[in-house]
Amino acid sequence: MKIKTNLWTGIIMGLFSAILLIVLPEQVPLPMFNSGAPSPRILPSFAIIGMLIGSIALIIQSLVFKKEKIYEFNIKFELPAIIIIALLCIFVVLTLNIGFILASCIIFPIMLFYVGERKPFIYIFTILAAIAIFYLFKSVLNISLPGFGG
Amino acid sequence: MMGDLDMVMVALGQVFSFTNMAVILGGLLLGIIVGCIPGLSVTLGIILLLPLTYTFSSPDTAIISLLSVYVGGMYGGSISAILLNSPGTNSAIVTTFDGYPLAQQGKVKKVLDTSLFASVFGGIFSALILLLFSSLITKLVASFASTEYFALAILGISLLAGVSGDNLAKGVISGLLGIFIACIGADAVTGVRRFTFDTDTLKFGIDMVPAMIAFIALTQVVLKMRDYMVSDGNLEEISKIDHTGLTMKEAKSIVPACFRSSTIASIIGAMPGVGGGVAQFLCYNEVRRASKRPQDFGKGSLEGVAAAEASNNAVVGSAMIPLLTLGIPGDGVTALLLGAFILHGIQPGPTMFTKQGEIAYSIILGTLVANILLIFVGAICTRAVAKIVQVKYTYLAPVIILFCFAGAFAATGNTKELIITAALLVISYLFVLLDFSVIPLMLGMILADIMEMNFVTSMMSYDNDIFIFFKKPITLGILILTVILLVSLIRLNKRVSKLSDEQMDEMDEIHSHHPEISEDTTQSNVPEKTPASESDVSQTVIITLLNKKDERIEIKNITNKPINLSGWYILSVTGGQKYTFSETIIQPDTTISIGDQGRNPDITLHWLVGRGIWNDKESDPAELYNANGELIDRYND
Repeated sequence: MKIKTNLWTGIIMGLFSAILLIVLPEQVPLPMFNSGAPSPRILPSFAIIGMLIGSIALIIQSLVFKKEKIYEFNIKFELPAIIIIALLCIFVVLTLNIGFILASCIIFPIMLFYVGERKPFIYIFTILAAIAIFYLFKSVLNISLPGFGG
Repeated sequence: MMGDLDMVMVALGQVFSFTNMAVILGGLLLGIIVGCIPGLSVTLGIILLLPLTYTFSSPDTAIISLLSVYVGGMYGGSISAILLNSPGTNSAIVTTFDGYPLAQQGKVKKVLDTSLFASVFGGIFSALILLLFSSLITKLVASFASTEYFALAILGISLLAGVSGDNLAKGVISGLLGIFIACIGADAVTGVRRFTFDTDTLKFGIDMVPAMIAFIALTQVVLKMRDYMVSDGNLEEISKIDHTGLTMKEAKSIVPACFRSSTIASIIGAMPGVGGGVAQFLCYNEVRRASKRPQDFGKGSLEGVAAAEASNNAVVGSAMIPLLTLGIPGDGVTALLLGAFILHGIQPGPTMFTKQGEIAYSIILGTLVANILLIFVGAICTRAVAKIVQVKYTYLAPVIILFCFAGAFAATGNTKELIITAALLVISYLFVLLDFSVIPLMLGMILADIMEMNFVTSMMSYDNDIFIFFKKPITLGILILTVILLVSLIRLNKRVSKLSDEQMDEMDEIHSHHPEISEDTTQSNVPEKTPASESDVSQTVIITLLNKKDERIEIKNITNKPINLSGWYILSVTGGQKYTFSETIIQPDTTISIGDQGRNPDITLHWLVGRGIWNDKESDPAELYNANGELIDRYND
């Protein structure tokens, strides 16, 4: 599948900024009292309108001037990346529910198995690394990652 | 108030503390390791270290440790360039031109020593320039007020947006998206909540650290894992390191090259928006032009290695000049450093030298000391670090990923950071598919607060007069300069990119005319294959052309009978991508072409994955196999 990156960036970012522009009054209320400071809407409006203009420019570049950069999406080639990202999203959900170490013990062995790793020592090494990182952050940085039981 | 010299003296005492020396050594080692592993970068090293710097008691120690990673990473990139012909960082591409041919001639230690010598030379040279010029520049810009700072922030974002991809509109959208993301959460001036969509996760905004981790570090690791899987986990073999190092005479002979290269790179590196990747090609070209033996360049010239390595380390110091004096980063790495400065409560810019002078000088002297210590760390650790390239990626990736999530969480200690990191990782992958650079986005996020703060101050000071930015001469000057620099830098980058392409082609040409180089080049990179027996199938179809830049490969049937190619395949050796022929008959004495139809309208069979199959930055031979998996022909690029 050929992805026309300029066209699609234009469409996606154009729609995104158009939606943001519509919800802006609701999402950025004006302050109750006028302190003389500029409105809190100025900077986001500047960014959103700029993005909208940029997106339109990209669409024009692609459709009118035929300036395009193609990304060939081959599912066989991209699938590993998609699956690893999905596993990392599940890792976050599990970390929030059963804790950092347990989540690591579940997700990373699955990931290693998926990428074709069969050496048991790498599995043990990864789990030990997760435990070491947990305690490193706890003792050195005084930051407790979600422990057992989330 | 203390003078510059007094501040330098105080800073000297601070830099030589035990803690600072320890973090410099640790930072250098981490930098060399991440720089050395192809696919990982200095930015990853800085991001991994960032959460740990929260524990450092003084902000200058934190910044010095990150700068040491930067310095170490620039040298580390050369190790894999020399040993594997595969640059560890973009700034080491030119090192492969001469470094690898020399390694193939068995002079591995000599070329590694040259690289270390030149790196240290370039690094110290530019750190001294940084020390001498920073204070001078800040005195020139000492009268800057909020309007000028706002204009400078615009200048910074515009330049990086303009040069960080090949599409200005995409760069601008990316930078503005960064500003928008930074707006999410409570507004610092009015306290109004912006774009939180009534969710707890967005109530306090999106922190810079999880964003850096998701957009840069995790994305890098995921893509490297993807490539690892696609190449079936094949590891490249490294050349053995011998024991014959650089002689004093040889060291003396490369000093002029180092000096020339360091001077040019220091000037280029100091231009915001240009960065290190560009400097090396210009320096290499210039040193070759001035050399007494230009004919050796590309075949194994120590001067060539010295030019490349002196330039990329010289950029480290000079890229700090606009960052420290004006608060404008020159490239992706300095953009991250700017983020780190802000996280540690340091505001780079002219006031830094007056209000936090000792910190400013500690950082500068720290850079200098890191470059001096690099020679010892490099001499002792290179041999051990080179072995890390051989460590399977399955060891490294999970540990880096775990560290990334832990680091993201450490930003605020809130579980929402984990959710934000995962969400941004998904978005970041979509950006990869859309060929959308996240560097301007990161800079937009980092600079948004500075922009808004100075904008609000300007508005309140000048009675909400929006045109004040065009009325004040210096501010107007900066805005005009933004436009001029943007246009000229885009042109300069296009020219340099053309020059670098020409140089790459020229090097390919030189290597292909020296079989001892090209032969060896391929041997070390390629896993062993089973060649087909001479008598039956080999030499029936041959690869006649491989144009990596245009994504085109041609094969020819040299027999006098038609051959059914069904089940045959072409392999891109470095990337591991495979094109398998379906029912295709190739007629006698006929050529068929396979590749990207977009770039070659006349192509017979379309084949493209991602942005391209063939790696035109490194050696990437092509191999043709028959349906039984027997090697029919190989084309050494």
